[in-house]
Amino acid sequence: MTTTTSSTTQPKEADSKQNNRRPAKRRLSNSRRPRDLLVIIPTFVLLLVIVFPVLWMVFTSLRPATALAGNVPWSQYFSGLGFDAYRRLFDGTTFARYILNSVVISCASTVCTIILASIAGYGLSRFRFRLRGFMLFIIMGTQLLPFVVLITPVYTFFSVIGLLNSYVGIIIVYTAMTLPLSIFLTLGYFDTIPRVVDEAARIDGCTTLGVIFRIIVPLSLPGIVTVAVTAFIATWEEFLFATVLLTQDQVKTVQVGLAGYFGEYSTDWGVIMAAATVAAIPTILLFSIVQKRLVAGMAAGSVKE
Amino acid sequence: MVYNIILSLQKLSPYQSPGDAIWVGLSNFTEIFTNGETASSAWNTAFWLTALTVAIRLVVGMAIALLLQSRVLARWKLRGVCRTAVLIPWMVPPVVAVACWKWILDANTGVLNQVLVSLGLVPRGVPFLADTSTVWWSIVAIVVWRELPFVVIVLMAGLQSIPQEQYEAAALDSAGPWKSFLHVTVPSLRPVITVVVIMTVIQTFNNFVYVWLTTGGGPGTYTQVLATQLYSAAFVKNDLGHGAAIGIVMSAIMAIFALVYFRVANRDEVRDV
Repeated sequence: MTTTTSSTTQPKEADSKQNNRRPAKRRLSNSRRPRDLLVIIPTFVLLLVIVFPVLWMVFTSLRPATALAGNVPWSQYFSGLGFDAYRRLFDGTTFARYILNSVVISCASTVCTIILASIAGYGLSRFRFRLRGFMLFIIMGTQLLPFVVLITPVYTFFSVIGLLNSYVGIIIVYTAMTLPLSIFLTLGYFDTIPRVVDEAARIDGCTTLGVIFRIIVPLSLPGIVTVAVTAFIATWEEFLFATVLLTQDQVKTVQVGLAGYFGEYSTDWGVIMAAATVAAIPTILLFSIVQKRLVAGMAAGSVKE
Repeated sequence: MVYNIILSLQKLSPYQSPGDAIWVGLSNFTEIFTNGETASSAWNTAFWLTALTVAIRLVVGMAIALLLQSRVLARWKLRGVCRTAVLIPWMVPPVVAVACWKWILDANTGVLNQVLVSLGLVPRGVPFLADTSTVWWSIVAIVVWRELPFVVIVLMAGLQSIPQEQYEAAALDSAGPWKSFLHVTVPSLRPVITVVVIMTVIQTFNNFVYVWLTTGGGPGTYTQVLATQLYSAAFVKNDLGHGAAIGIVMSAIMAIFALVYFRVANRDEVRDV
């Protein structure tokens, strides 16, 4: 690895040694050299290794069941591809129900998070009150809490008030889980909107909530969408709380269902891979849509802290 | 959290109501510290799951970040494609990542074993996830694969914020690529690296999904980590109090880690000034 990286910086060294007097001009040239292939080919091999498991998952889910059972000769690897495994998945199992559960839970949690984070973010952005610093500290501090540790008290608490195996219970947990980071992000977006805007809206007769949801949120919509997508992905992916709090088939999420297949269908990898592909589609799609903003936001967040 | 402390002093199964809990004082804690399982899972958590994967992620992540920033890829207009490819593992849910790898590593029909056998490297399929000599490396591979992109992204952001002039100055002082990496890149990235280490250590230390779904802590309790021990104590052996006590121990370890780390990081900054 290190050899590859040092060779990538080698042209720079050569450049600067030859052109000590006028370094910048040559530096920006786009001349493609044959020796670049020394970097590019290993890079492609590396990327192939990185991407392979996901490609293999999709490929496996499309193969016929007979091909997965035994050792197939390499020449016949690509014969008979089809959606057979998906048919087995949706006809033979309750997976469709899991998808519905996941969609409901993730959407509801995301909506709750966005509403609460908008209000809290606005308050922390616009008002300087006594406990503000302390609240910010708490919000950041919860990021450092080991989340696993909360599972026993939450379980016991929910079993008392009857929120096990209910949408409401898991939505509360997920909202609490995604809220701190969401508040932190909305606070950052709202800080970029000048206060004059609020005052103008107030003069036109908006209440505080009106200001937030009619003016401020629409103005920072790209940011809010990023927050929503992050929250949705986080809740869609979550496994621990889902597996502990949701034990009945009619409320299980996609992730819990998929994990349940590991033991149950250990001989039918086609079905497992089909379920895994379906479970990954929303996150991959959403990621692709907001990739640029998300990456910038993530990076800024962690560099700024 | 407060309730967790109370719970850790009690004996309670998930099927009882909390009113029926029996006060057992500190016996949950004495049990934790006297059985050998805790020591081994603490070691597994600290070394295999956390320290090793964080170290690998930092080194490989730094290499890939430098590679993506390199001007060679920019010249060939490949930066965007490569960045997307690197991000892909991070786009799949952890459960899906485990599913993919379980299938690849499958002892009989997994593609890795098929390749190894057909190349004649092994006489027959290696049961990667059932053999004590390979099981931890398999888990490490899964964790690194899924969590590497995050490190790459953050390090890339850090690299982009280093002014180009510093590299030019280093080049004028006839510093080679290695020297300029050591004296320009690393010092400028120190705060970023600090943040990355803290975040990844905390996330990984408390991670439950990878180990639980890959091996369930097995074979036996060979790959048990604190998070899976907590889960199996509370929800497999039906002793919530025991699980809560493990949770308290985990929180304490994390708190100590955070304190020590901030101490060290602060001292570094003082020395730099």
